[in-house]
Amino acid sequence: MSRSSLLVLGFAAAFALAIVASARARRTDERHTLVWLFVCAAVAALAVWRHAIDILAQAMGIYYAPSALFFLCLAGLLWLVFRQSLEVARQKTQLRKLAQEIALLSERRPEPPRSEGQ
Amino acid sequence: MLLLAFREEAAIGATVAEVRAALPGADVLVVDDGSPDRTTEVALSAGARVVRHPFNLGVAAAESTGLRYAARHGYRVALRMDGDGQHDPASAAALLEAVAAGAELAIGTRFGEVATFRSTVVRRAGNRLLARVVSWLAGRDLTDPTSGYRAFGGRALPFFAEHFPHDYPEPESLVWASRQGFALREVPVRMRPRRGGRSSLTPLRSAYYMIKVSLALLLEISRSRR
Repeated sequence: MSRSSLLVLGFAAAFALAIVASARARRTDERHTLVWLFVCAAVAALAVWRHAIDILAQAMGIYYAPSALFFLCLAGLLWLVFRQSLEVARQKTQLRKLAQEIALLSERRPEPPRSEGQ
Repeated sequence: MLLLAFREEAAIGATVAEVRAALPGADVLVVDDGSPDRTTEVALSAGARVVRHPFNLGVAAAESTGLRYAARHGYRVALRMDGDGQHDPASAAALLEAVAAGAELAIGTRFGEVATFRSTVVRRAGNRLLARVVSWLAGRDLTDPTSGYRAFGGRALPFFAEHFPHDYPEPESLVWASRQGFALREVPVRMRPRRGGRSSLTPLRSAYYMIKVSLALLLEISRSRR
């Protein structure tokens, strides 16, 4: 196995460890953990099976193989960012509703005027 | 009476007092949209009830909070005004009469026969353009789609308590109301320059507002009815 393959494998392993550590500390949920572990597995697979990207590029009709890799990475990242923005919008709506409920529950009324002698 | 306020400590006291004098039997609720100043305290000492957002949520959410309060406390009519004193309470009766006469959403228009404060030329031009688009989408003539001086009754009150557009709600909510089949009516009202504080609409924000509202309206056409 070449040095570059080992380097990428090491990177994938370190990344996977970081993801598992975050999941153990409950900083990420299972769904996101699974997606990121899948990314690590894909990176590791490409490091071991180096011709995979050539076959993929050929299948996609792309002459320069690294371009296929860039395209796939960019498309994946774009999709991820889009999903994140949907999630942010959903949480914003929830937060707004929660803030409205807090406001309604903590209604304040003016003090009634004090009568003489009080 | 729903008064929406953000950073209005300079104006809210006088506005509440004026509203209470104009409509002595009405309950006045100030929705403080997370003001960092003394808006809540000033409104309370002026005799209003106050609900305060823990942080700034925008005018659309403030309107919906006020309507939600009204719906939950069994009010059948709610009149929304701005806390900066721009909406003359003397016109409130006309809006309430429109609801009593069957309108579910009565919109106060600056362009009726009542003598009123005129905003800048650019804003008036923007408003005219928006009025055409909203009128076309709503299928009826509407002259003042950005007016926040409005009364809610009938089905419109509970509907807008739960559904509200993002950011600036006025033009979009007219299209929603029309698509829901609510009875709309424009009522000439008097508006004045703001009493204190600062408008949140700078020229750049106004342009951005126009673009954003236009996009929201275009998207609205593509949606199915709620």
